[in-house]
Amino acid sequence: MTTPAATAPLRRNDLGWYLYGVAAADETSVPLGARLAAGAAQKVELVAEGSLVGVASRVSLQEFDEPTLPERLRDATWLEEKIRAHEQVLERVLEDASVVPCRFCTVYRSEVELRRFLSERRETLQAALDRVRGKVEVGVKAFIDSDRFTAGRAKQNDDIRQLETQISTAEGGRAYMERRRLEQLVASELERFRGEAADRIHTHLLAAAEDGLALPLQTPELSGRDEKMVFNGAYLVTADRGAFEDALASLARDIRDDGVDLELTGPWPAYNFVPVELSAE
Amino acid sequence: MSMSEQQTLKHQVTLLELVDRVLNRGVVVSGDITLSVADVDLVYVGLRVLLSSVATLEESRERISATGAGP
Repeated sequence: MTTPAATAPLRRNDLGWYLYGVAAADETSVPLGARLAAGAAQKVELVAEGSLVGVASRVSLQEFDEPTLPERLRDATWLEEKIRAHEQVLERVLEDASVVPCRFCTVYRSEVELRRFLSERRETLQAALDRVRGKVEVGVKAFIDSDRFTAGRAKQNDDIRQLETQISTAEGGRAYMERRRLEQLVASELERFRGEAADRIHTHLLAAAEDGLALPLQTPELSGRDEKMVFNGAYLVTADRGAFEDALASLARDIRDDGVDLELTGPWPAYNFVPVELSAE
Repeated sequence: MSMSEQQTLKHQVTLLELVDRVLNRGVVVSGDITLSVADVDLVYVGLRVLLSSVATLEESRERISATGAGP
């Protein structure tokens, strides 16, 4: 039997606090606390500090400490498990209360440090919380089916229609050349339309939301769909989502004939609508 | 695409959707331990490994079903 001499013995203070997010004390009920404590593999605790509540778990600092963290981050299985756990905890809080989500792997070495953060940043946290109170984030992605676009919407373009008529009567080499020209024309019309569709979608949905923003488009590799993404947006909407979903449904009907399909994700904690950096107070 | 392939794909997409939010957004607070920009890059490297291994698995499944071999 070998002794792991290189491993430092566990110290008493080897537990830290992983902070998932911050909620308001007046929204986080005792039953929520009990459900959080019982539900997950990782016990979740509500650390109350004045009007704020930190949603946190005790974690092993051996697992999360700086020297070992980079190595952990290369472990895809560990990573996926922790990322999903982070989200699951916040989603359970979101069922009952508004929450300001924290970035992945925010860890305090002690409860004192966690409480100090909550009290020192109380004003900025409270302002962030007020902004998302009673609201959730939803994601909307739009994809264009180029076949449906070509068969439908593209024909609204006079040049495309005219060229199609010419092709129907042309023969041999000329018909081939003109078909190539038509393909190019349809492709450039599609490019133009993508911008127009993105503007239209964002304007329409923004009118039914508290706030919204356009996110970078995803490549087919990331989106998991063959169709080209024309729009990727995030919206802050009231938790019941009624008005927003009505607006989305009517837009989806209108834009479908142009070859555009909409995809809704969420509700998410309002990741995109909280300050990225908390300003010092 | 089979049901299991669709599920795998959906699973991957959701994970990326999650990564975009959990790692790129949310409040950066002054924890004692927080991820630096370099750490976040590392996370993406880790996930690419994860996702490409899923893709490789799918590919080999497709090859098996195409040749009619396998269990």
